[in-house]
Amino acid sequence: MDDIIVVKDLRKVYGKDVTAVDGISFSVRKGEIFGFLGPNGAGKSTTIKILTTLVSKTSGQVTIDDIDLEKNPKAVRRIIGYASQEVGVDDDLTARENLLLQCGFHHMPRDKARKKVEELLDTVGLKDAGNRRSGTFSGGMRKRLDLASSLVSDPLVLFLDEPTTGLDPQSRQSVWEYVRSLNRQGTTIFLTTQYMEEADRLADRLCIIDQGKIVAEGTPKDLKAKIGADIISLKFKDDDLAMCRMGAEAVRNLPGVKEVGDCEVGIASGSGLMIMAQNGAAIIPQVVRALDGAGVSIEQLSLSAPSLDEVFLKLTGKKLKVIETKVSTRGRFGGRGRRGP
Amino acid sequence: MILESVSEIAAIFGRWNTKLVRRPIFIFFSLIQPLVWFLLFTQAFSAIGSIPGFDLITGTSSYITFFTAAVIIQTVASSALQAGIGIVNDLDNGFMDKMKVAPINKSSILFGKVFSDAITIVVQVFIILVIGMLVGVKIATGLPGVVLILLLSALFGIAWSGISIFVALTTKNSETTLLIGLLTTFPLLFLSAAVMPLRLLPDWVQKVAEVNPFTYIAQAFQELIIRGYNWEIIGQAFLAIIIIGVITLAASTAMFRRTVS
Repeated sequence: MDDIIVVKDLRKVYGKDVTAVDGISFSVRKGEIFGFLGPNGAGKSTTIKILTTLVSKTSGQVTIDDIDLEKNPKAVRRIIGYASQEVGVDDDLTARENLLLQCGFHHMPRDKARKKVEELLDTVGLKDAGNRRSGTFSGGMRKRLDLASSLVSDPLVLFLDEPTTGLDPQSRQSVWEYVRSLNRQGTTIFLTTQYMEEADRLADRLCIIDQGKIVAEGTPKDLKAKIGADIISLKFKDDDLAMCRMGAEAVRNLPGVKEVGDCEVGIASGSGLMIMAQNGAAIIPQVVRALDGAGVSIEQLSLSAPSLDEVFLKLTGKKLKVIETKVSTRGRFGGRGRRGP
Repeated sequence: MILESVSEIAAIFGRWNTKLVRRPIFIFFSLIQPLVWFLLFTQAFSAIGSIPGFDLITGTSSYITFFTAAVIIQTVASSALQAGIGIVNDLDNGFMDKMKVAPINKSSILFGKVFSDAITIVVQVFIILVIGMLVGVKIATGLPGVVLILLLSALFGIAWSGISIFVALTTKNSETTLLIGLLTTFPLLFLSAAVMPLRLLPDWVQKVAEVNPFTYIAQAFQELIIRGYNWEIIGQAFLAIIIIGVITLAASTAMFRRTVS
């Protein structure tokens, strides 16, 4: 497959010594969904702002569809679409007017613009709300309108900066579906996210970025295979910390167990005790026997393939944000909550 | 290229006009203060009109007629100085990024905005003139004079809004932007020939007034309202506006390029 975005040794230094992006290189293939995953402040937003011509780079080289970003930013702007975290729609205008305005920015003739707007309203499911001011919309509707407005020019590449941050679970689902259907129609998508689940579900390939550097790159499946182990998770009655510690000691030295998680972290995050083991299914009987022998009673035991969370934890030593299950209006500030399904 | 710029400016101009129609209350906000001055200040100070020599210098003994020019200037200035607020809002809510990612000229974003502000100002000044006529102000040059006053107001507004946009882009803060507007308008107004004819001002104020652009614009309005077409004075007003406009719009365009690149 052809590469549509090629980034070489990209660096961005703010002021004198704040390095936001520290010499990253990667490429995005035509037609794929490429995810940029990392915690807040990792350099995701800076990277997407450089790629969309909003921020100038300190050094390095970027080409999009073989156009050099630095030499011809305007030509790049003609072939990209961008939906920012902030949702750039004008609340005083109706949905239809917002889209027509975007068509105006792309110098589309009136007739063509009108047709395009109707088509887009239909795709994002806002046909009935087309004459309503976007200020009256719900968060999910505004996000969909914003997505539609970044698509008026049929961009080759669509950039989405944290597309579902701050959305309720239902809206998040509908944004995901919409992104997938766009991609099926051939649009290359570059998205940043701080949610593992989002990257796992959407991205064909992804980069994990931490402190301005790429720490891993590959398909979600490849990255998970890097862990090379299954996860056995144990839940204790009433999330008993003492019981968990006893359990952790009981299984620590079993053959095949690679790593045992931290009880405090596990119980606080609601995931219980995590045990990483080679060929997990085979050692479950031993685990149960060991726990039994130590007098530890468990409420639940489950076996799973590693998730991207574990990959991230292993690569950076940090925990990523989990998707909030509570509906919050300002999701950017709410990192609490249980892990989603 | 030029055609593209025209269509971009038209799109952005249309956007701001639609916003104005949706929230017409904004037309009246910046009118409140000038109207209070127009209708109350001129009553309390109506005796100024009978100062010996006032009507000889100004051509009228009605202070409210003389003061109409000051009210127009105050209206234009306070309205223009809100231009930056819209820009700060766009920077805050992500709409600016949306425009910056579009394949348009950065200057179109500015010009679309200031041209729309000019429309607001024309409407506002027209309201002021109508109210003036209702309370007895007679405009010597009639309808063509009114058109000329509206034109001067619109151009002055475009030039003056450059200051607000510059401050808005520098501070990215709406309170500061408003405050700077407030802090510049009043001193400039009172240190000009808008409130009192030049020759009746104290010496030092006269000196300041002579280099104050408000003086030249006020004198043009006063001539058009009280006496008639004095092309020399009207020409000076146009010149003052062009000088301000070139400086403020060049500065804010440069600032804009810096902020957005």
